[in-house]
Amino acid sequence: MIAPLFSQHPFAKSLRMEPVPPRAARPPSRCSHGDIMTSDDVTRDGAERIVTDVVCAFCGLGCDDLEVAVRGRSIRPVKACAEAGRLLARTDAAPPAPRIQGREASLAEAAEAAAQLLKASQATAITGLGTDLDGLRGLFDLAVTAGASFDHAASEGLFANLERLSRRGWISSTLAEVRNHCDLMVVFGADPDLSYHRFFDRAAPAGGEAGAAPLFVEGARRVAIVGDILSDATRRTLARHEVTEVVVPPAEVALAARGLAALVAGRDVAGIPALEGAVGEGLKALAEALKAARYSVFVWNAATLSPRDTASVAESAAAMVDALSVTTRSVVFPLGGRDNITGAHQMALWRFGYPLRTVVGGGVSRHVPELYSTAAALEDADLVLHASSFRPDAPPEFGRGPVIALAHPDTVFAREPDVFIPVGTPGVDHGGQVFRMDSVVCLPLEALRAAELPSLADAASAILESLRRAA
Amino acid sequence: MTTRITGGRVFDPANGVVDVIRDIVIEDGRIVAAEGPTKSSDDVINASGCVVLAGGIDLHSHIAGGKVNLGRLLMNEDRAKFPEPFGGVMCGCGGGRVAPTTHATGCRYSEMGYTAAFEPAMVGANARHAHLEMADIPNLDTGGFLVLGNDDFLLRMIAQGEGQQAVNDYVAWMLKATQCCAIKIVNPGGINAFKFNGRMLDFDEEGPHYGLTPRRILNTLQRAVTELGVPHPIHLHGCNLGVPGNVKTTLATIGATEGWPLHLTHIQFHSYGTEGDRKFSSGAVEIAEAVNANPHISIDVGQIMFGQTVTVSGDLMSQYRNHGIADPKKWIGMDIEMDAGCGVVPFAYRDTSFVNALQWAIGLELFLLVEDPWRVYLTTDHPNGGPFTSYPHLIRLLMDKPFRDAQLERIHKAARSHTRLAEISREYTLEEIAIMTRAAPARTLGLKDRGHLGAGARADVVLYREDNDREAMFATPRLVLKDGDIVVRDGAVVALKKGRTFAVHPPSDPLMDKRLERWFDEAVGMKSKHYQIADHEIRGGEGPEVVESTPETSR
Repeated sequence: MIAPLFSQHPFAKSLRMEPVPPRAARPPSRCSHGDIMTSDDVTRDGAERIVTDVVCAFCGLGCDDLEVAVRGRSIRPVKACAEAGRLLARTDAAPPAPRIQGREASLAEAAEAAAQLLKASQATAITGLGTDLDGLRGLFDLAVTAGASFDHAASEGLFANLERLSRRGWISSTLAEVRNHCDLMVVFGADPDLSYHRFFDRAAPAGGEAGAAPLFVEGARRVAIVGDILSDATRRTLARHEVTEVVVPPAEVALAARGLAALVAGRDVAGIPALEGAVGEGLKALAEALKAARYSVFVWNAATLSPRDTASVAESAAAMVDALSVTTRSVVFPLGGRDNITGAHQMALWRFGYPLRTVVGGGVSRHVPELYSTAAALEDADLVLHASSFRPDAPPEFGRGPVIALAHPDTVFAREPDVFIPVGTPGVDHGGQVFRMDSVVCLPLEALRAAELPSLADAASAILESLRRAA
Repeated sequence: MTTRITGGRVFDPANGVVDVIRDIVIEDGRIVAAEGPTKSSDDVINASGCVVLAGGIDLHSHIAGGKVNLGRLLMNEDRAKFPEPFGGVMCGCGGGRVAPTTHATGCRYSEMGYTAAFEPAMVGANARHAHLEMADIPNLDTGGFLVLGNDDFLLRMIAQGEGQQAVNDYVAWMLKATQCCAIKIVNPGGINAFKFNGRMLDFDEEGPHYGLTPRRILNTLQRAVTELGVPHPIHLHGCNLGVPGNVKTTLATIGATEGWPLHLTHIQFHSYGTEGDRKFSSGAVEIAEAVNANPHISIDVGQIMFGQTVTVSGDLMSQYRNHGIADPKKWIGMDIEMDAGCGVVPFAYRDTSFVNALQWAIGLELFLLVEDPWRVYLTTDHPNGGPFTSYPHLIRLLMDKPFRDAQLERIHKAARSHTRLAEISREYTLEEIAIMTRAAPARTLGLKDRGHLGAGARADVVLYREDNDREAMFATPRLVLKDGDIVVRDGAVVALKKGRTFAVHPPSDPLMDKRLERWFDEAVGMKSKHYQIADHEIRGGEGPEVVESTPETSR
């Protein structure tokens, strides 16, 4: 299916919204961590529009109050964190055409070439998987029809967390619950601000105004980090919180989490050198604080820990939740969700009954994470179909066969793919839906400009049609 | 094109047609009046030897959304054991029995002659996800019941003494925002209380923080749906699920309805006494008497079936209480977004267990002691009591007294002496099955062109070959037509069709938009406009099928 004409697009209305107000009427927009992007340099030729309440699909935190200035095809972030700003920014440049072995081609020709490769393949690995739910549906349809394994580029942390979640489970929470109930947050490892710039701002605002979060926390919130020293930006965000830092080197974060879990369970940790001195005292105080807290929340970012440490931290956090839940409330809130991996996980479950790292086709599915993680799948694959519509991430290195790339137009390839179909970005070129990291909230994306590229779903659908014609 | 189904025994209780041999004529996906003789151009289906019913409607089955997906995550062994048997273009590469994939859900229901199933616990914050899943279910019309009664915005409104009109505006706004077709309450106030560390909440007990009783929350929402004209009454999962002695709570709830209609769901789990040496007994007789005496009450049973399943519930308070008996030993709980919660606990019901065996008997007692089939619907609360694929077996238990007695002989001996099941001679008739699985659910949900075979109805028609083995009969229909097209032959799917999604859109005061904008900005931390699901988001642009709501004019 080809994208509808822009004027008939369901989101067309929102693109005509809000002419730029007079300069004085609009305060400068600011990001959570203090970077201020002023609108002083806005060209007021009447052609630029400010679009407010833009939903961001990149890191997984699901901020939905961004602002951008759009003129023609160019997009300039007005209110966005640095990462979102970088990924939303667009110039007026015309998008590239599809290519077959480096030669420009039409979408239909490129789709046909991709279909031929898929037909000839005995073992296709679909990699990347960074796209909206429509795009994922298209990729999964291709996998069912042609036979393929699939994995997401950011799945290592997810699978480390699943070690605990799918084998024993845990009690978790969502952003709004944490925002309103959490009186003690314990972060393991790196400062979340590094990857999720507005995390504390959104999950643990200091509040103060009636009706604003937190609705159920009396007194100041407490935030403790067991790991890195907090960044200055985080210190500013947490200026009205009680902050505790138990500083441990990255290699000892998992051990410290196990130590804290032991203390919460009433066991002794004496004799473990890494948990002596200030660290030990800090953990002891934290264990007492956890027992006294009304709604504690454990946070970690799998992307900044090794898979083994992630699994260990997840296990310790979930064990503490189990122990604390006997008398009070406690939950986990793992950070993750980059490039809609949460959506990919969810859709794989509802369509195939298995998480990612599964192979489907010929009427069956097999979920074998050790065989179908991207790294493992590439060792046996004879074809790679790489899908990445949120950011210009190149396909993984692959020398065993051809590569099809349904990818961001700015992607720089180390080796020219056999078929390259540049695709639009969800939330920039076309609408769509993505999941937030807490796996509950699914957000709608809207187009910011007229689409000149097919969506990843369009590209997948064109390939599927070619495949079916050939069948 | 016209399709004429001739010679079948038609059971269409909504239109007063019971066991009459007559033609059913279909044009353009709908049933038309069967006038005149067969024309040569008609496509004729000879239904002699068959019973002809409207498509089955399951009004309470957890088929989509976040908690079902958590169930799938925990039940990978079940998934591997029950792969979809389809090849070729029918392939969905899915499967699973207790938490089947979307494709398998549609195919399995369709193969039993069902053409609609309703997700009875859609959490507002997860509604977009649930709708996306429902759109992926082939051959079934669907709809969601929105979970309210633990949402902080509502509880705050009631606690602050805001009037009924404001509550009604909020309920109407939420129904439209989430594209749901009814209101469900799960453990009124209880899920919210658990967030404040409350572990039990009785019907007349004040919950933490808001100081509201479940009774007050229930009555406020009953009045709201009545005044808004939502066809289905409040769909209530009551307090104290699974707790011995909860029969008292359930009777108090029935007594508290003040004449407003109420649907009590999976009532089997709420019909337990504390008599006998094991302090666990059947309260079915008292519950059935109360249901029989109160014509404004309807129920579904939530029959348990022996075997492995997974319980998926919004009631985290109860699921936390039960997580110790998880089998296998794993479970997931979640507080959800100022809306509700969920708890997912695998469980295996065993006929060798006294409690499970008695639960089985209590469910059947309820089915058999409630007299009016228009007010009791056939459910296992899929997958909580057992997977929906066990319906043909359940139908046989209801229709076949000797079969039922034989099954009763197999269960835990002590449980047998605690049930009156052996004394009950009732056998459901085909007419009664047609009512409880077709006509009655359509009526309570306000679906005027479903659940019957009169002119104007959607041509969802099922032909079951007459068979004394009712389980075999209802497991493998000879033909199933969805919107006039054959989708199942001899119990096997032969075609996949898109279903529809039902929603109700009662109007609300635009001022509620402004209030909720602020609530979402300040408390929830997302934009109200992104919470709301636009019509074009339903089924890839198809939009919902809006069920008429008839607001009460006298407020």
